[in-house]
Amino acid sequence: MHLTRVLELYPDTRVTQILYKDVKNAAELRRKAMEGNINGALVNPTMLVGPFQVLVAANKAVHLQTTGKMKTKTLNAEIIFNLSPTNNISEAFKRFGISDGDHSILVVVVHKSDEVQFVSDISAMVDGQQLPVDDVSSLSDFNKIKKLFKITPQEEKCGPLLDAVVCRMAIKDVL
Amino acid sequence: MAVPQFVGKADLVKQGAEGRVYRAQFLGKPTIVKERFRKRYRHPVLDEKLTHRRTVQEVRSILRCRRAGISAPVVYFVDYTSHCIFMEEIAGSSTVRDHIVSTQQANSCKELELQQLAERIGRILAKMHDEDVIHGDLTTSNMLLRCSSQDTESDLVLIDFGLSYISSLPEDKGVDLYVLEKAFLSSHPNTNVLFEKLLQSYTKSSKKSPAVIKKLDEVRLRGRKRSMVG
Repeated sequence: MHLTRVLELYPDTRVTQILYKDVKNAAELRRKAMEGNINGALVNPTMLVGPFQVLVAANKAVHLQTTGKMKTKTLNAEIIFNLSPTNNISEAFKRFGISDGDHSILVVVVHKSDEVQFVSDISAMVDGQQLPVDDVSSLSDFNKIKKLFKITPQEEKCGPLLDAVVCRMAIKDVL
Repeated sequence: MAVPQFVGKADLVKQGAEGRVYRAQFLGKPTIVKERFRKRYRHPVLDEKLTHRRTVQEVRSILRCRRAGISAPVVYFVDYTSHCIFMEEIAGSSTVRDHIVSTQQANSCKELELQQLAERIGRILAKMHDEDVIHGDLTTSNMLLRCSSQDTESDLVLIDFGLSYISSLPEDKGVDLYVLEKAFLSSHPNTNVLFEKLLQSYTKSSKKSPAVIKKLDEVRLRGRKRSMVG
């Protein structure tokens, strides 16, 4: 159900994504994350097109952490920041991080070993139903995404929405 | 450092004067990594500035083209330390250059198909110039035809935006077309008619074409062994 991928650029690092819907305790989870009790980034899945987008954000975050060039203070904050098309950190958190009233959450964990015990630890904390990560597009608000990323109608004909989103994520620091 | 190590194990596709192109799997997708390596014959400070600028211009122009509806590879990740661009590998594609060469060699009556291709190129370049994107290195090797599975027309994808920049000047657009004309006619002999079709299609599709074509005519008169009597 959860999705784990090794980062090719950092072969000892893995990224695991876990998706939940019908979440009833978003406020509590958010508080726990801010206190540092959840070792993962809590992402708003309605703003995501697919798991690849998260991998791109996580890869960039790990790379910038390794080279000491992160724009935010922690790796998890950097992952959320990288999902945004703009360079404004607080806006990124507002749109891609979770809010107290959210009903779905994607948890992103960057970890070293193959050990996935933490998945059940996190699931125990979430009052919600786990979904296969590939189903994230069923939760997506495509209109909101298109509006935020300023996707033009011509660009939509060029290729899938995922391409347009990932391209902007990758280039935003020199735009 | 992670990226040089990764690149060291990847398949080298091509090496040019500017950089190397590798093919690899990245985050589960077939990816092209374009590495602009250090040029030791340059002064290090200048080399860094130039290489960085080329990398940045390339990715900016790609996004600008995509926003206008022109197909260009999706950029997945840029490492500004090693000047590597990780981008989408256009699967099952051939360059326009190879396509024209093989079509001409086959000697079948595919003139119409090539003319339609030339018209498409003209339309796409018109769109690009209307966005004020100057490619800088227009050749038939920098245009890919992405084969699609169905019978639909293959997608024309522009690549290699390393020498690109933004400009609204008709002079710059005229020079861009001149570069293509020179490259086109030297790679593909006896294709003057084909290139004419390309220019006609460009003129019809671009809103700012008269000034650009006028400049193209002027540029053609410059250079070696050309009379400067205007």
